[in-house]
Amino acid sequence: MAQRNASRRGQKRGESFMDYSLLFIVLFLVGFGMVMVFSSSSYEANIKLGDSTRYLRQQLFASILGLVAMMVVANIPYHFWERFAVPAYISSVVLILLIIPFGHSSGGATRWLYIGPISLQVAEVAKLGMILFLSSLICTLGKGIRTNKGFMLVLLSPAPVAAMIYFITNNLSSAIIVMGIVVLMLFVSCPDYKRFFLLGLIVLAVAAVLVFYVVQTAEAHMDDLDFRGARILAWLDPEAYSDDRAFQTIQALYAIGSGGVLGKGLGQSMQKRGFLPEAQNDMIFSIICEELGLFGGIAVIVMFLLLIWRLMIIANNAPDLYGALLVVGVLGHIAVQVILNIAVVTNTIPNTGISLPFISYGGSSVMFLLIEIGLTLSVAKGIHLKDL
Amino acid sequence: MDDKMNHKTYHRSKTVTVFFLCALILFGLAGRLAYLMIFQSEYYTLKAKELHERERSIKAARGRIIDANGKILADNKTVCTVSVIHSQITDTENVIAVLSEELGLSQDYVRKRVEKYSSIEKIKSNVDKATGDIIRSYALDGVKVDEDYKRYYPYDTLASKALGFTGGDNQGIIGLEVIYEEYLKGEAGTILTVTDAKGVEQDEEGEERVEPVSGRDLYVSLDINIQSYATQLAKQTMETKEADRVSILVMNPQNGEILAMVDVPEFDLNNPYTLPNGMDASAFSEKKRQELLNTMWRNGCINDTYEPGSTFKIITAAAGLESGAVKPEDTFNCPGFIMVEDRKIRCHKVGGHGAENFVQGTMNSCNPVFITVGLRIGVERYYSYFRQFGLLDKTGIDLPGEAGTIMHKMENIGPVELATISFGQSFQITPIQLATTASSIVNGGRRITPHFAVKAVSADGTDSQVFSYPVRNDVVSAQTSETMRYILEQVVAEGSGKNGAVEGYRVGGKTATSQTLPRGSGRYIASFLGFAPADDPQVLALAIIHNPQGTYYGGQIAAPVVRQLFENILPYLEKMDYNRT
Repeated sequence: MAQRNASRRGQKRGESFMDYSLLFIVLFLVGFGMVMVFSSSSYEANIKLGDSTRYLRQQLFASILGLVAMMVVANIPYHFWERFAVPAYISSVVLILLIIPFGHSSGGATRWLYIGPISLQVAEVAKLGMILFLSSLICTLGKGIRTNKGFMLVLLSPAPVAAMIYFITNNLSSAIIVMGIVVLMLFVSCPDYKRFFLLGLIVLAVAAVLVFYVVQTAEAHMDDLDFRGARILAWLDPEAYSDDRAFQTIQALYAIGSGGVLGKGLGQSMQKRGFLPEAQNDMIFSIICEELGLFGGIAVIVMFLLLIWRLMIIANNAPDLYGALLVVGVLGHIAVQVILNIAVVTNTIPNTGISLPFISYGGSSVMFLLIEIGLTLSVAKGIHLKDL
Repeated sequence: MDDKMNHKTYHRSKTVTVFFLCALILFGLAGRLAYLMIFQSEYYTLKAKELHERERSIKAARGRIIDANGKILADNKTVCTVSVIHSQITDTENVIAVLSEELGLSQDYVRKRVEKYSSIEKIKSNVDKATGDIIRSYALDGVKVDEDYKRYYPYDTLASKALGFTGGDNQGIIGLEVIYEEYLKGEAGTILTVTDAKGVEQDEEGEERVEPVSGRDLYVSLDINIQSYATQLAKQTMETKEADRVSILVMNPQNGEILAMVDVPEFDLNNPYTLPNGMDASAFSEKKRQELLNTMWRNGCINDTYEPGSTFKIITAAAGLESGAVKPEDTFNCPGFIMVEDRKIRCHKVGGHGAENFVQGTMNSCNPVFITVGLRIGVERYYSYFRQFGLLDKTGIDLPGEAGTIMHKMENIGPVELATISFGQSFQITPIQLATTASSIVNGGRRITPHFAVKAVSADGTDSQVFSYPVRNDVVSAQTSETMRYILEQVVAEGSGKNGAVEGYRVGGKTATSQTLPRGSGRYIASFLGFAPADDPQVLALAIIHNPQGTYYGGQIAAPVVRQLFENILPYLEKMDYNRT
C-alpha cells in the first residue's frame, strides 16, 4: 500500500520528486533542536563565556552548512557514490589515524580534527563512510551474501574501523553505532532470520555476563574496576554513586522526573543551570522532558518514529538494492542513536555518550546526518523513474 | 530479473521488521519515560527541589523578660549581619574598601573573605543597625546586609546573675535565659531561595518564606525597684565592710515569688565576657579566663553552699516545737558552755546566759539551749524533720545549677554532730534553701517553691501560660508556725536581732555569725534573715555578708541591711498592695 501511494505521488510530481514529508520532519527536528540547544545552553554559556548564543550560533552555522550539503547531495544521483565505496573506507581509516598526530581534545577525549575554522568529529565521517562502503559491498556480493563467507565478510570488514574508533578516539558509543548500522544492513540484505537471532542472543549473553562479572568484581575489588565497569555499577544503583559516576545520570533523572506530565515550560529548566553539566549535549533529551514534560518527550519520540517510518517507506520503494541499502544504513544510524540516547538518558542502559540526532549540540553530527538525509532524498527522487 | 525481484521482496519485509522493532523499542522507552515522569515524578521533583533551594533562616525575636511592674529587663535590639556572595560581586576592590572602612576591619581580613569562593560568606555579625544601613546605601553587588536581633539588657548589671545572658546564636547561657529557653527562643523562620548550581539566586523563581514565630515574653516576679535598692544596699555594705561578697534575697514567703536576688559583685549583662575590675583578659590562659568568668557569673544565692550558723536555729526550734521536745516556756540554764559526751561546746557569750526560757534562749541565740533541744529531739527524729522540711532536696528554683545540701549521713551523726547541726554548723546549705525553709516555717507550714517566672505570654499577647509550682502543706503545723512567728518577732523586738527592727512594722528574724572553714582563719559570714509583717509574713529577706572586715556579727552588720531594706520596701509594698490579690 505504502509503496503504491508513494509511487502515485511521485508520478504526479513528475521528474523532480522531492519527499517533502521527510524534508519537513528533518527540518522540524533541526529547528526544534536549535531551540532546545539555545534553551539548554544559554544560561551556562552566559556565565562561562559571557555569550548566551554561542552554542546556538555554532549549531546554526553547522546546520546551514549541513542543509546546503544536503541539497547538493539530494540533487546528485545516488549511483554517483557507488564508485566511492573503497575511498570512503580508506578515508575513514585515514581520518581516524590522523587523530593520533593531529587530534584535538575536549572533555578528556581526543575525537576532533581541525580543518581551518571547522572542527570535525571523525567518527561521524566514518559512520557515513561505512554506509557507503557496505551498500556497495553488499551489492557486489549479490547472492554471495547468503554464504557464511559473505556474511562474515560484511560483518567483519567494518570491524577494524569500529575498533579504531573505540581504541584511538576512545569512543565506545560511536563504535557501537557503526556495528549497529552494519548489523541492520546485513539483516536487511540476508533472507534468513536464524543467524541474527543467534547474533542477538550472543550479544545479550555477553552483556549479561559482563554485568554479572562487574557486579561480582565490585564486591571484591572496588578500586580495580575500570571506568566502564564503574558505569555499569552506577547504572544498577545510580543513587549510591550520585556524587561521582552516576552524577550525570542522576541529574538527568531529576530533570526528567521533575518535568512531570506538562513540564515546567520552555526555558524554565532548573537543571540546565549548572546542575546538569553540558546540558546541550548528550543529555539534552532530559532538558526537553523537564521543560516540555511527558508530552514534549513523547512528541519527540513520535517525530523520530515518523522519520524512521518515512525512511522505511523510501527504502522499500527505492529503485534498486543500492539505493535501498543506503537508506537502510541511514535508518539504522538514526534509529540506533535515538534508541540508545533515550535509553541512556532514562537510565535504561548504562551511561555512554551518545547524542540525540539533529537535536543535540554538535556540528559534525548534524552536518553528516543532513548529508545522509540528502542521500535519502536522492534515493527518493529515483522512485518514480523505476516505477514509471 | 526474477532473482532481483525475490531479493527485493525479502529485503522489504526485513526493512518493515526493522521498523517495527524500532517502534517496539521506542514504545518501551516511551513507557519508561511515562513511568519516570508520572509515577516517579513526585520523588524526583522533591529531590530536585532540595537541590535547587537554599535555605536561609530568619531568626525569631527572642521573648522579653518583664518584671512585676512591666519594666523590660531583657530586650532585643536590631543588629545587622554583613555577608558577601562571591559570585555576585562585581567590584571586588570597592567592596573590600567599603567593608573594611565601615566595619573597622583590616583590609586583609575582608579580602580573605571576599575572595573566598563560597556561596555566602559572613563578614561581621552584630553590626549596629546604623552602620548596616550605611553599608546598604552603597548598594554594592554581592553584599548582603541581613537584619538580626541581639539581646539587650537595659539595666546592664541589675540582677545579672538571676537573668543571665545569651550567646552568639541568641541562646541562653546562664540564669533565667537558659531555664526558659524553650519559651523565649521562639521558632526560626526560613527563606527558601532557588539557586543555580553555584548558589546564584534565581530571582524570577521568587522566594518562599516561612515567617519566624517570636518567643514568648517571660513575666517574672522580680521587682526592679526592690532589686535596685537591694543592689544598692549590698554594694554599699560590701564597700563599707570591705566584704568579699554580699548576697540579698527577697521573696514572698507565702507563694515563693522572688522579688529580688542580689549577689554583688554583679557583672554587665551587655558585656558578659569582660573580666571584672579592668582585669586584662589577654594576661590569662584560655582555661584560666574561663574559670574567672565562671566565678564572675556564679550566683552565690543558689550555686554556693555555706554554713548557715544561727539562722538555722529557726529550723531546730521548729523541729523541737513540732516534735514536742520543747515548749516556749521550757526553762534552760546556760553556764557559757555545754558538755556533749566528752566535748565542751561553748556559747558565744563567754559568761553564759544563765537561766532562760526557750523564747529567751532564741532571743539570745544561746547555743547550749539549742544543743539541748537538738539532743532531746534525737538523731532519727531530727533527720526526719530535716527531710520533712525539704532540706535534703533542692528547692526546685527556676535557675540552673542549684547546689544541694551537704549533710552528714544519718548513720554518721553522733551526739556531737547533732549538737553542732542544732546551731547551724558542720553542714552546708544554699541561701535560697535557708530562705525557702524559713518561709515554709513562718507561712503556716507550707513548703513553697521559690521562683521567678509568673507567666509566659505570646508576642501578640493572645496566649498566656501561667506557671504553677508545687506546694507541700505538711512542713509544720499552723500552731508551730504561729509560735515560730512569735518567737522570731521577739528576737527582733528585744533580742539579738533588734537592729533589724523597723519602726511601725512588726518584723521577725534571726541573726547569724559563722566562722568559715578552716576555723581560726578569721573569716566570718554575717547574716540576717527577717520577715514582715511578723504576724502575717508577706516579705522575707536574707542578707549574707561574706568575710566582712572589722565588726563581723550578723546582728550588728547584717540586721541593719535588712532593716534599711524593709524601711524602704515595706511602705512600697503596702502602697503597691503587693501580692494581696
